[in-house]
Amino acid sequence: MVGRPLDESDLIERAQRGDTHAYEELVHAYQGIAFRTAYVIARNAADAEEAAQDGFVKAWRALGRFRRGAPFRPWLLQIVANEARNRVRSAGRRASLALRAAAEEPSGDAAPSPEATLLSAEQREGLLAAVNELPEEQRTVLSLRYFLGLSEHEVAEALDVPQGTVKSRTARALERLRESYD
Amino acid sequence: MTELERALVALGGELEFPPTPDLVRAVSGRLQRRRWRRPLVLAVAVAVVALAIAMAVPPARSAILRFFHLGSATVEQVETLPPAQQRPITAGLGPALVREDAEMAAQFGIRLPKGVAPQQFYAQPGMISTVLRADGKPVLLSELKGDQTVLFKKFASPATSVQPVDLGEFGLWLQGGPHVLMWQFNFGRVHRVETRLAGNVLLWLDQGITYRLEGDLDKSQMLQLAGQITR
Repeated sequence: MVGRPLDESDLIERAQRGDTHAYEELVHAYQGIAFRTAYVIARNAADAEEAAQDGFVKAWRALGRFRRGAPFRPWLLQIVANEARNRVRSAGRRASLALRAAAEEPSGDAAPSPEATLLSAEQREGLLAAVNELPEEQRTVLSLRYFLGLSEHEVAEALDVPQGTVKSRTARALERLRESYD
Repeated sequence: MTELERALVALGGELEFPPTPDLVRAVSGRLQRRRWRRPLVLAVAVAVVALAIAMAVPPARSAILRFFHLGSATVEQVETLPPAQQRPITAGLGPALVREDAEMAAQFGIRLPKGVAPQQFYAQPGMISTVLRADGKPVLLSELKGDQTVLFKKFASPATSVQPVDLGEFGLWLQGGPHVLMWQFNFGRVHRVETRLAGNVLLWLDQGITYRLEGDLDKSQMLQLAGQITR
């Protein structure tokens, strides 16, 4: 996940005045989360790249309507996610979620994170398979919420649904997963 | 957070996403092009107004060498046409390709009227062409990416009528006398496609792409076809 730059509000203010260099810094800060959000929805790297790029350009054009002091990330991700959804609709394809487990052993000498030690390789594979079998809308909510670390509010903004819908989809998805995980 | 939720977070850290592309450069490039587009369109419009005024004045018409750019195209009016010959409409465009290969060679996708599926395409880096059928007549559609390496030049004799049209960001309709086409492909390699003496041409710019239709259609037929391409 990409951390917030300390001077984000300054960058936004400068970008709103037409400073493209300031906006480039915002793009740099958020390109990772924007691309991954688009990828979770479009499930195609080329579509995700296009959606993220178009999203950033549209966000630039809409900056004048951005309310100062509001959180920038959910506003941006909503635009990017909308671009990604449009591509899924227009392409008419719903490929399976193409997330792959990384190498089972941590690379180099890096110690596994405390969270990683929670899961054995077998558990990881089982859990990922169970996530992949979830209905599309539940899988997307879970992916954004837990894999990308978006807040409930951000997931709701990105998917353009009420926060209550995010809660209920999350609850139903966790219930299904619990059956296979426990 | 429950154990299952912690497990999901942990799993998220071990998933392999495609590498994030360099969006900064791509977005920055598009913002810069947007910044230039408005003055460019304005400059073209001013040039065309000047052209129209000049063409309305006979003494000026004979004395002034007129030219202007429209996206990847340059239109120039000369008193004496360079030597040229009649050739097939696709002459000089390279070998016929299937769409996928042509788009790969052109490095961008072609826009076609809805429901139209030509079988043969022609491409150079920055340019893709195909022949459509409209009102039973062949029409050559060429699309050129605005800032790519292909430069497309057109010469028109004084007998050719040149009119601005309301199409895309800016459009131009050329009709009448003989004109000579010259394609300048990348890296300065010049290839001349010889004359289509009666070919009417519609040129327009839309979202960084220069579109060109050529065929034996009148202005309204050509505009109708163009409207199906860049709706």
